[in-house]
Amino acid sequence: TIGNMDFYYSPGSSGCRTVLMTAKALGVELNKKYLNTREGEQLKPEFVKLNPQHTIPTLVDNGFSIWESRAIAIYLVEKYGKDDSLFPKDPKKQAVVNQRLQFDMGTLYDSFANYYYPLFRTGQPGTPEDFKKIETAVGFLNTFLEGQDYVAGDHLTVADIAILATISTFEAVDFDLSKYPNVDRWYKSAQKVTPGWDENVEGVQRLKDMVNAKKAEHKKN
Amino acid sequence: IFTMDLYNMAGSPSTRAIIMTAKALGVELNSKNVNTFVGEQLKPEFVKINPQHTIPTLVDNGFVVWESRAIVVYLVEQYGKKDSPLYPEDPQKRALINQRLYFDMGTLYDSFAKYFFPLLRTGKPGSQESLDKVNNAFGFLNTFLEGQDYVAGNELTVADIVILATVSTTEMVDFDLSKFPNVDRWYKNAQKVTPGWDENMKRLENAQQFLKDNMIEKLKV
Repeated sequence: TIGNMDFYYSPGSSGCRTVLMTAKALGVELNKKYLNTREGEQLKPEFVKLNPQHTIPTLVDNGFSIWESRAIAIYLVEKYGKDDSLFPKDPKKQAVVNQRLQFDMGTLYDSFANYYYPLFRTGQPGTPEDFKKIETAVGFLNTFLEGQDYVAGDHLTVADIAILATISTFEAVDFDLSKYPNVDRWYKSAQKVTPGWDENVEGVQRLKDMVNAKKAEHKKN
Repeated sequence: IFTMDLYNMAGSPSTRAIIMTAKALGVELNSKNVNTFVGEQLKPEFVKINPQHTIPTLVDNGFVVWESRAIVVYLVEQYGKKDSPLYPEDPQKRALINQRLYFDMGTLYDSFAKYFFPLLRTGKPGSQESLDKVNNAFGFLNTFLEGQDYVAGNELTVADIVILATVSTTEMVDFDLSKFPNVDRWYKNAQKVTPGWDENMKRLENAQQFLKDNMIEKLKV
């Protein structure tokens, strides 16, 4: 039995959407608790008690508190998966999934954040050099997907889910994926086969609304 | 013929993490130096092996994996004993280790590299904002280590080894660990109990010398 699974999140956050889709894929029900991080709700003492790093997403599984979206996704598969398909037990297959997850954090999403977070905060994006790093990162993903239907092996894994959350976030800023035909192809297909995609779309729309609001705000000033 | 090639830069923190893990497992690595300061990773032969052309990259009898934190986990799963304490099978224990590994990648090592690597390369430090991030990150690590001998649970794990590689890099710069008493205590102990520590220190010293030599050349110009 699953019992109490509290999930602290914000719908726009890419990492949160990774966990939402993974939980959907596993049939795990999350008790969702929204935290407005723009208003500092994650700094409330009750939450810092659960996660001293006070980040979202954070999952509390019957008292066991875990954060970092990719660690949460793996945990859910290992604990509640009917099989290991979303996160293979075979060391070599798993290593490829892990490399893709770390590529997602350290290269792909990282490049997006460096360029676009300043835009969200101040109305000014990062430098042209920063934008080039996004193009390079998506270029690597395009290479990984040469002749492949999935990002890590021959079936859907948490690496697809995490990278799907990331790439869908690019839609909030109208990034042109068509220059990356393998990514474009994979992205269109992943939307159809990944459980929880609709909820991901809602989250991206929330983010898009926030971005547009910020842009309008800065135009006025 | 059994070949385990590690394409690496001897002094880099990510390489040192793998060296210590391999030592802990009794696995022998065939070291292949790739000097990224002069773009050796862009040689076609290496790009063929790793299309993302990053180091470290492990080639285990033809099986290629990169991202240091994926490599260390792979080594334990492939070559460690069953349910190795370095990366135990229990999903909760693993989740904690994984969270610490992602914390190292995205917060601890990330903040350190952004502030100190420009300093090491050019003699000019990063911004105050980036130094604040380093202190924040070490503050979180200090909290994780409250009343704990190891970073993730009761025993030495790959999380300790990876974070030790990161934290020991502070030896190369002027960073006062005593401000973080739990980290200081953990660090002093980790040096004694982590296999391959001597090798880690030797590589750090060599890296320090290499940078000194290179920076002196820059100053002459």
